Amino acid sequence: MFTTQLLDVVTTAGVLYIVALGLLIVYGVLKIINLAHGAFLAVGAYAGVVTTGLGWNPWTALLLAFVIGVALAALVEWRVLRRLYARPLDTILATWGLNIIVVQLITLYFGREIRFAESAIGRAVSVGGATYSEYRMVLLLLAVILGVAVWLVTQRTQIGIVARAVIMNEELAQALGINTRLVRFMTFCLGAGLAALAGALLTPLISVHPNLGVPWLINAFMLVLVAGVSLANLALAALVLGGAQVLVSSYGNPVLGSLTIVILAVVILRFRTITI
Amino acid sequence: MPSSARYFVLLAVLLAASPLVLGEYAQQILSQAFFFAIAAVTVDLLWGYTGILTFGQSAFFGVGVYTVAIALAYYVEGTLATAAVVLGAMAAAALIGAAVGWLSFFDRASPIYVAIVTLALPVVFTQVILSGGAYTGSSSGLPIPPPAISIMQWYWISGGLLLLVAMVSYVFVSSDAGRILVAIRENEERCRYLGLRTSGLKIRLMAACSAVAALAGACYVLFGSVAAHSYGDFVFGTELVVWTALGGRGTLVGPILGTVGVNYVSAVLGGNLPFVWLLFVGFAFVLIVVYLPQGLVPALGSVLSRVTRAAVSREGGRGAVAGAGRARAATPQVRAAASMRATRPGEATPGAEPGAPVLELRQVSKRYGSLQVLEGVNVQARRGEVVGIVGPNGAGKTTLLRCIADGRERSSGDILVNGRHIAGLPPQACVALGVSRKFQTPNVFDALSVLDCLRVARSYRAPTSWWRRSHTLELPEPALRTVQVSGLLSLLDEPAAHLSHGAKQALELAMVLALEPAVLLLDEPTAGLTREERAAIGGVLTELAQSHRLCILLIEHDLDFVREISTRLVVLHMGRVLVDGPLPEAAESEVIRTIYVGGGARP
Repeated sequence: MFTTQLLDVVTTAGVLYIVALGLLIVYGVLKIINLAHGAFLAVGAYAGVVTTGLGWNPWTALLLAFVIGVALAALVEWRVLRRLYARPLDTILATWGLNIIVVQLITLYFGREIRFAESAIGRAVSVGGATYSEYRMVLLLLAVILGVAVWLVTQRTQIGIVARAVIMNEELAQALGINTRLVRFMTFCLGAGLAALAGALLTPLISVHPNLGVPWLINAFMLVLVAGVSLANLALAALVLGGAQVLVSSYGNPVLGSLTIVILAVVILRFRTITI
Repeated sequence: MPSSARYFVLLAVLLAASPLVLGEYAQQILSQAFFFAIAAVTVDLLWGYTGILTFGQSAFFGVGVYTVAIALAYYVEGTLATAAVVLGAMAAAALIGAAVGWLSFFDRASPIYVAIVTLALPVVFTQVILSGGAYTGSSSGLPIPPPAISIMQWYWISGGLLLLVAMVSYVFVSSDAGRILVAIRENEERCRYLGLRTSGLKIRLMAACSAVAALAGACYVLFGSVAAHSYGDFVFGTELVVWTALGGRGTLVGPILGTVGVNYVSAVLGGNLPFVWLLFVGFAFVLIVVYLPQGLVPALGSVLSRVTRAAVSREGGRGAVAGAGRARAATPQVRAAASMRATRPGEATPGAEPGAPVLELRQVSKRYGSLQVLEGVNVQARRGEVVGIVGPNGAGKTTLLRCIADGRERSSGDILVNGRHIAGLPPQACVALGVSRKFQTPNVFDALSVLDCLRVARSYRAPTSWWRRSHTLELPEPALRTVQVSGLLSLLDEPAAHLSHGAKQALELAMVLALEPAVLLLDEPTAGLTREERAAIGGVLTELAQSHRLCILLIEHDLDFVREISTRLVVLHMGRVLVDGPLPEAAESEVIRTIYVGGGARP
């Protein structure tokens, strides 16, 4: 019982981390809150539905999701976001508009009914004496791998250093000859690609419908604002708030559990000394 | 305002007569759209006018919906009881709104924070309804016994209510208090330093808008006779923002037209092509945010006025007089009506004895982390003194003024104004003690006219009407003098954004003087001014100190200017006071020569 709960906490944190990662990257570099994040999750989820329909290996859904996410993001950044960087509050509106468009396109093609995607791993494994879903364990592993990979990219590669320079002081970076426009473009594509990837990874855990992104978007949004722009803080926030969610759901009631992240985040942000 | 009153009468007549041509189905759709439009108007007041981006007005609408639905489904019946329940729903929503406001609006809150809280609100609301089981109807909705009101009557009720809300909102945003909303949107910090308690204002506005949204929701559920959680959810909350943005934020009429238009067309088209229609709305929304951020109504308005102007000028070619006459009628009549009268200078602040220091700094220090910006600063200043503060860049001059104007700034030490500790008081409370601060870079309300900037500044001293727009402005003599000598008098109707740098400096100085302060903090007030303007402002300042017994602290880089108008000189260097003495002797000191001429300092 205890082991299961502990596993629930860490795997939930892993899932939240995967879902929020793309949002965090975009928020950090572009300083915009991407409300289309939920739509990118949905795109990834439907990539899973498509591969299931075609009878492909479920793992191919990940690649498909990432590619579609990046392509869509490239289009969006090029046609829309680029024009709004001087008006950050308006990007919130525009990305919500994009969310509407993407969700409606999905609805037109796939319909509103709930779809299912095949899981890559349906087995259960024994972990520390408890029987637990192997898929959730794999997700946890993937969260760690993604986290380390993104961290390595930011710390060790040229593009990562440039991106960090843009995060710290965009004007200075620009004055030093860094093509901040390109950095923004690539970051948005990467963030959206990760969001779609997260959507594909989520599909075996949730039922797939066009609006599936909204609750995830809200939770991810809260986690990112609590975390600021730090990957480590995001992991911590996912662990603490996700853990609280699991505990409240199992000891309190599930409805209260689903609100835990939102309410805790609002309180934390209110009383934290650093203003966002 | 007779012309706008005429519009409202016209709209009321239109509303009363339109059932003659509209079918029952159209009336039904429009009634629903009218109720939604009321909620959109509250979004416009909060977001369009005051700059509070809110996704949560749907939750207040939902509070209205469910309070009435639960009451009618289980507890009460009859007209009077229903009316009481509606009022109760409004009161409950106002309380929740005030709580949300208290949570969201504190002095150093980021504008995104309120968006987060209002985003969380509908999420919480929806979960509460969904978890209510049969009591709230959960996801299947809660039906109530419909009142005996016909469709046409509902049409009139909803339209009448919308007209009423729009009219009250219009009167409010056109009033003197309405201008303060825009001032908050433009520059909340400046508002605080003008003594306005902006957080309190925003909380009250939030409470009022919540009550109105709940009223719309309460009436809506009586009309639709079934409560559904979707009327209080996140999607509806964002839809209200979308409709407001489409129509044109900050215009009142835009959000109403946006809401009614989208809802009407989606009901007509939506039957056949619901998803395509929503897709279209999504595209329209993105396009408008990108290309027409002010929304459709202002864009159409400017196109219309361009067409009219073109027509007028064409007409003018044939008959010049007629054209000119029409053009003039279109310009606002503010200028003719606006007259500025000087008021008597503010009476001496109570508790101020002559001779006693009006400002006293004891051992004031300020650290940023390990960086010591001010260290053990002791300065006293009396009424009638002009204290020039000089020192090289980074000496801590601006920090010193900031510590006096905001009690939360300094790290240690005491600051007394009129013998009273400023302790940890926020800027608006320091203004109440008699401190006002002019910022280093001009800090005015760009979207407001010069006259309105002054009026907002003056609202700290003069009571502000919530429903009337005053046509005269009374300024204390020093503020009026500043306006006169800087040539602002001929620019009263000009938006502050169009002013030159120097004119903005003068405007901000006049705004600060309108507060009738006892201690005036000026951070390079004449930077960017011409020689003549500078001399004129210098004259005003000297006279202020002499005849109005003000205490002025003045940061300047131009030592000659300081020498001309100051009575005392304080030299700051590396956060310490090096020299503090009367002029002209202090200006001759060794330190000054070292700092300003460089080198040559002998032990």
